[in-house]
Amino acid sequence: MIGRIKRNIRMVGVLINLRLQNLMMFRLGFFGPFFVDSCVFLVQLCVFEVIYSNVDRIGTWGKGQMILYIGTFSMINAINMVIYFFGINAIPDKIKNGDMDLYLTKPGSPLLRLTFERINPGSVPLLLFSGVIIAYGIKEGGIRITPILVLGYVFWVAVMAVLYYLVEVLIRSFPFFILTSGNTIILEEAGLTLCMQLPGIVFYGIYKVIFYLILPYGIMATIPVRFLTGELTFVGALWGILVAAAFTILTAFVWKQGIRHYNSASS
Amino acid sequence: MDLRKYLEILKIFIKTQLAWRGDSVIQILFSLTKILFASLLWGTIFAGREEVAGFTLSSMMSYYIISSFLTQLDMSSKVSMEISQRIRNGTFSKYMVIPVNIQGYFVAMEMGMVLFHLIIYFITSVIWVFLFRIRFVFAPDPAILAGMGILILLGLFFMVQINYYLGLLTLKYEEIGLFLMIKDNLVAFVTGSIIPLTLLPERFLWIMKAFPFYYVTYLPSMLFIGRLKGELGMGLLVLSCWCVVLQAVIYVTWQNYRIKYDGVGI
Repeated sequence: MIGRIKRNIRMVGVLINLRLQNLMMFRLGFFGPFFVDSCVFLVQLCVFEVIYSNVDRIGTWGKGQMILYIGTFSMINAINMVIYFFGINAIPDKIKNGDMDLYLTKPGSPLLRLTFERINPGSVPLLLFSGVIIAYGIKEGGIRITPILVLGYVFWVAVMAVLYYLVEVLIRSFPFFILTSGNTIILEEAGLTLCMQLPGIVFYGIYKVIFYLILPYGIMATIPVRFLTGELTFVGALWGILVAAAFTILTAFVWKQGIRHYNSASS
Repeated sequence: MDLRKYLEILKIFIKTQLAWRGDSVIQILFSLTKILFASLLWGTIFAGREEVAGFTLSSMMSYYIISSFLTQLDMSSKVSMEISQRIRNGTFSKYMVIPVNIQGYFVAMEMGMVLFHLIIYFITSVIWVFLFRIRFVFAPDPAILAGMGILILLGLFFMVQINYYLGLLTLKYEEIGLFLMIKDNLVAFVTGSIIPLTLLPERFLWIMKAFPFYYVTYLPSMLFIGRLKGELGMGLLVLSCWCVVLQAVIYVTWQNYRIKYDGVGI
């Protein structure tokens, strides 16, 4: 087991090294994802700044909590963009055109390779940018930071970044079975767009079922923020862990079945 | 100017839309997202109050229904993407050899797409009204409606112009895809399709009134719900001026940059 972990860590190191060499050759658009995503979250900040200049609260949340929410979502998105998005996003095409063959025949886990082979250092400033928004939210919300709060918040952001990854892999594994994941990716995009703009506290009824369970974007930034502001209940925390665990099992199962199902269509 | 050629282009693009029905479905899904966003956000905000910035919940939701409909109708971002991609891969020559004005071609293309989607988006907007149980606020004043119709057409034309202009910049700057993505996001904010611009501080609103985006989606939507009637005349004037200015900019840009196109791709 330890030997396997060491081998995987070495493999991740090699993949990052290769990717950096590749990026040095194709420098065009290096900071592209940073500019696009930071613009999205800046507009978000402006929108809620404007709304809070007209109202004092949205549900139970004041301006500080909402800024924290935007910063946290931006942070999870930044982790996604830096580490795995560009690798995972290519899965449907690799399945469709038969390129998955290469990943199955090479040593090491295909998913590990796909996850780390296209890291994007150009999005690193997005991490810093998100950090600034979070700091602003903390200041605006008047939150007193303690080491326990920071550790807990980092833990929840890490859990939710993994959940984000799992949902991405799950959705992009559908082409193993149905050849196209176009519609599911559109659904993912629609759900993400909505939940980037709306905190989980506004969902009720059927919307709660959809965005807390089926496409759990509604809890991804909400739980870390609720932890930081001391609003997270035991049930809420348990729900976050359960959803992350359920998606881990489901994604692992679907991915394994998908690999078995893969018939190298175009080779 | 032979309008029949452009009418043919318009007809072709109406037919083409039948082959791209998936795009309409995506647009409908995103309009649903927008209405859902408005319903959940403003539903929560209005839970404890009757009015925000002069809006009731019904007028706010009506605003989103109309602005979402108008935003969907504007499909001009395809113009800049098409021009940019064609210039980059060297196939923009297609537009240079056909015996029509290139900008006229894209205006006809936009009109064809708008005409095809007009009924579909209208029906979906009506469905959202019933689905979200919105008490639709509508101020039926024929004169205002006529003026609003002209304003909407001018707004759509302006958006084609600006996207055509941005597409042409590829001749000079080669890669503008990134800028186009940022532009879409900013345009959504400044046209008032994310939140009504009336929520902005007064001084920002004054600045925005000097720019055309205020009149593309926001003002027509507000007129439709019976507000800002006094701004219609100014809106028509400002937007017309911007269209004229931008047309001159397009002309100069085209004359200067078209010689940079080599037809082999970048």
